[in-house]
Amino acid sequence: MAVIETDGLTKLYGNARGIEDVTISVEAAEVFGFLGPNGAGKTTAIRTLLDLLHPTSGSARIFGLDSHRDSVAIRARLGNLPGDFGYGKQASGREALSLLARLRGIDGLGRADSLAKRFRADLDRPLGQLSRGNRQKVGLILACFHSPELLILDEPTSGLDPLMQEEFLALVAEERERGCTVVLSSHELDEVERVCDRVGIVREGKLIAVERLADLLGKTQSRNSVEVEFAEPVELEDVRAIPGVVGAKFAHPTLEEIFLTYYEGEDAQ
Amino acid sequence: MSSQLGALVGAHLSDRRRSLLAWGVPLGLWSAFIVLIFPSVEDALSKATRDYPPALKEAFGIGELTNVEQYLHAEMLSLIVPLAIGYLAVRAVASGLSGAAESGRLDILLSAPVSRSRLAAASFAATAVELAIVLALTVALTGLGSLVSGADLSLGSALAGYANVWPLALVFAALGMIATGFSLRTSVVTGSVAGVLVTMYVIDLVGRLDPDLSGIRYASVFRYYGNAIEDGIDPIAFLGISAAAVALAALGAWLFDRRDLAA
Repeated sequence: MAVIETDGLTKLYGNARGIEDVTISVEAAEVFGFLGPNGAGKTTAIRTLLDLLHPTSGSARIFGLDSHRDSVAIRARLGNLPGDFGYGKQASGREALSLLARLRGIDGLGRADSLAKRFRADLDRPLGQLSRGNRQKVGLILACFHSPELLILDEPTSGLDPLMQEEFLALVAEERERGCTVVLSSHELDEVERVCDRVGIVREGKLIAVERLADLLGKTQSRNSVEVEFAEPVELEDVRAIPGVVGAKFAHPTLEEIFLTYYEGEDAQ
Repeated sequence: MSSQLGALVGAHLSDRRRSLLAWGVPLGLWSAFIVLIFPSVEDALSKATRDYPPALKEAFGIGELTNVEQYLHAEMLSLIVPLAIGYLAVRAVASGLSGAAESGRLDILLSAPVSRSRLAAASFAATAVELAIVLALTVALTGLGSLVSGADLSLGSALAGYANVWPLALVFAALGMIATGFSLRTSVVTGSVAGVLVTMYVIDLVGRLDPDLSGIRYASVFRYYGNAIEDGIDPIAFLGISAAAVALAALGAWLFDRRDLAA
């Protein structure tokens, strides 16, 4: 059974762009990434799944439950890191964890301390005294400490240094091994490429592609790449000048290059 | 799930521990000062108030200032305390809802299995406790002032006078919750409800000053406030205002449950 299923999920508000007709299915123990630039609708999609925004039309089911009517039961089984994490200035990470643990009916703080050690996070200082990156670490711990079945992470590596980004990617891989389903949004294409099983590309509120990452990379590579062996060293410009040869620089396209093909011509519009 | 409610109320009070002191201590010291100076100004006050226009005395609920309870009512409980505690109530309830939304805390709390209506109820309950603590602190410091000055203040009367502010302030907390159903900007919530607070006070004042306009007082909750430090708490008014506050808070929780929580 799919962990998340949406059917024509649409959220429109005022003049601001929301999401339109989003239909996806995310399987158990899958890492699914929403990809898109800022303002594309990734956060709206996530907040609608979490019942923070009420859909204009369409529906979403999580664990087979209605995302609005059964929201409390759903949230008992998930962990969430909002985009631009904040919790106020006075409370420490430990105080926030203690409150969340009580709201979840958990004795103790689960694996919070081991995660704090792993991410070198300070749980005892007031959050207002922490840098953005260190606050983000606390946010990740708040999302993960109770070992949820589903993790929803909005721009999870925002503010993290490269070492902690690596640690985060390792954690996501471990969560998948544990059987946890992970949905994340990002515009950091490298991290998505490394950790996601499938991606949904969001453009102007619409989901314009949902594919397995391996298929997406393979399809684009077979269409655009070529291997040519020359007897002598050649300049790339000379290769490009050969009639019928296109895209020589795309021999090993990155996800970023693939992603940008979906946005070709947008600047001209 | 009363443990959830207890956890949320405890967290709210912990966050606002500075506010408890920041409001309770100055109000208490001010009230204590009024009691402290009463013995030395008693005679002059009695003489002066005899010359006050009757309408003015009626408007501010001032009778003869022949005892410290009357003086405390005139100086504190007829204007300053209800307006100050009413405003504090709006700020307190807003901090748990719109303030939490602005800081990002609301998103975190709503990632846990707690309903929005329970969150709103917790904010209202925590506000009720916060107001009770601030008022108790004020009464305690006032009593201390009476002890020091020998003003012979009846602590029971003082307690009744200050306790009578509690349901009145809860009405404005509940209006704050309703405002949160329309806006998650704390400045909008506190500004709009503070406007209602002052408007209701002025409506009641005008209604008292002009007997022809006394009917407009029914549009103000201050109509039912009374003078509990001298007359004792009117249980019907106290319970009626409390019930109205709870009903308005329930409406606010319903609106909060239905609204979008945008990033």
